[in-house]
Amino acid sequence: MRSLRMEFFKCKRRRLWLPLLIMLAAQLAWGLYSMRDLSARELQQGWATILYNFPMLNAMMTPVIDAVVASRMADIEHKGQTLKLLETVQRTGALFDAKFLCGAFYMTLYLIAQLAVIIGFGVVNGFAGSPPIDKIGEYFAATWLTTITILLLQLVLSLLIQNQMIGMIIGLIGSFIGLFSLFFPPSFQKFFVWAYYAVLYNTSMDWDAATRISDYYFIGFNWAGFLCLALYFVAIYAIGRILFVKKEV
Amino acid sequence: MFIRSVRAEFLKLRRSFIWLAMLALPVLSAGLGTANYLNNLGMLTEQWYSLWTQHALFYCTLFAPALTGVYCAYICRLEHLNRNWNAVMTQPVPVGTMLAAKLTVVSVMTALTQLFIGILFIISGKIAGLTAPIPFELVYWILRGWWALTVQASLLLCVALIIRSFAVPVAAGILGGFCGLPALVKGFGVFFPFSLLELGMCSHNPSEPMDCSAAGFLISSCLYLLLGFSVSVLWMRKQDVKTT
Repeated sequence: MRSLRMEFFKCKRRRLWLPLLIMLAAQLAWGLYSMRDLSARELQQGWATILYNFPMLNAMMTPVIDAVVASRMADIEHKGQTLKLLETVQRTGALFDAKFLCGAFYMTLYLIAQLAVIIGFGVVNGFAGSPPIDKIGEYFAATWLTTITILLLQLVLSLLIQNQMIGMIIGLIGSFIGLFSLFFPPSFQKFFVWAYYAVLYNTSMDWDAATRISDYYFIGFNWAGFLCLALYFVAIYAIGRILFVKKEV
Repeated sequence: MFIRSVRAEFLKLRRSFIWLAMLALPVLSAGLGTANYLNNLGMLTEQWYSLWTQHALFYCTLFAPALTGVYCAYICRLEHLNRNWNAVMTQPVPVGTMLAAKLTVVSVMTALTQLFIGILFIISGKIAGLTAPIPFELVYWILRGWWALTVQASLLLCVALIIRSFAVPVAAGILGGFCGLPALVKGFGVFFPFSLLELGMCSHNPSEPMDCSAAGFLISSCLYLLLGFSVSVLWMRKQDVKTT
């Protein structure tokens, strides 16, 4: 607990939230701009449409945001060469956990803010029916776990490799894999942690080439995929933590 | 003095693994572009020109601005570490010369990236089995792209100087790249620095001339280049460095 408090202290005045806020604004502007003037038919499918659009934006932008947060949290120790000192006063594992929890806190806030705007937008624009709480819950759980798992991976990379360029490049490549995973065959998607925004879709779309009309609708939640992602999380946590604890500073 | 400053900057890049970024990201961009082209052969019928739209789309929107961000962040990173700004600022080298050297080195790296993109484009075309002759316009696309990337570099270098973090200039580049696309579509491309790359490389309409006047492109790019550079110089002169 004290370790966690120390992490928040370290973030003080570093404006860690600022890149998050700017990225969130860009993401929302992009995501909601196309949904301003909807016809009655589109409003009927409003909730499914918006929950279809946002995983795509998340797949494209969130891996980079994760990389930025993880890199800034890890770089503060590399820059000041403080790991040597810290490891004499606290357990290395606790430091790792605290860093992860602090980063996860920021990312969770980011996702909650995003979801609040999505729901608010839907209600104000008169999407049909009340917000489908169960579907929104599934969307949030899927997005949250994917984001947190990517954050964990980035944190491990940023802590283990002093050269922050490597972590950032993996983050960038991840965001590309995220975007392109939407076109991967499902059996292939499962291998990439960035692809789980696409794996855990609980909406689908039919595009009629003749009429050029898209239909959005909800589908069942992919529990097997969710479990698989949870296993990824546990594996990355276990391996990353051991590597960090054993690392000579 | 300027040449020696440039040589010093190159020396700092030794063993930096920056070549890894320079190789990996363009290869990924070209690979994705070519895959997309091969999957949509029904719609994309103009051989090299269609392939270019696929290559340039991903490269201009995301890869190139991010890569320029990485270069800018890296060229300032060594100084941000271990209070090295103190050493740099006490050398008998004017701030303007030092920053011009940094910008030149980033510009050389973007030039190499552009060259690599051109080579990858030709290789991808050959792999995709294109039979038409390679368009000569490629030289203009690459050259104008390099100039537009130098403009981006001047702005991102400013961000990298002011914010002492590796990740923020990269994120700024990505954000700029993302915003560049809507600006271009809405017709404000020539007024927005990150859309100049798409305009210069004709990513949406691969034919000569560009979608804007050459004079407009040149004036806008020079203004943004000067803006980024002068803010950087003024910041270093007035605000000085922070080494805590």
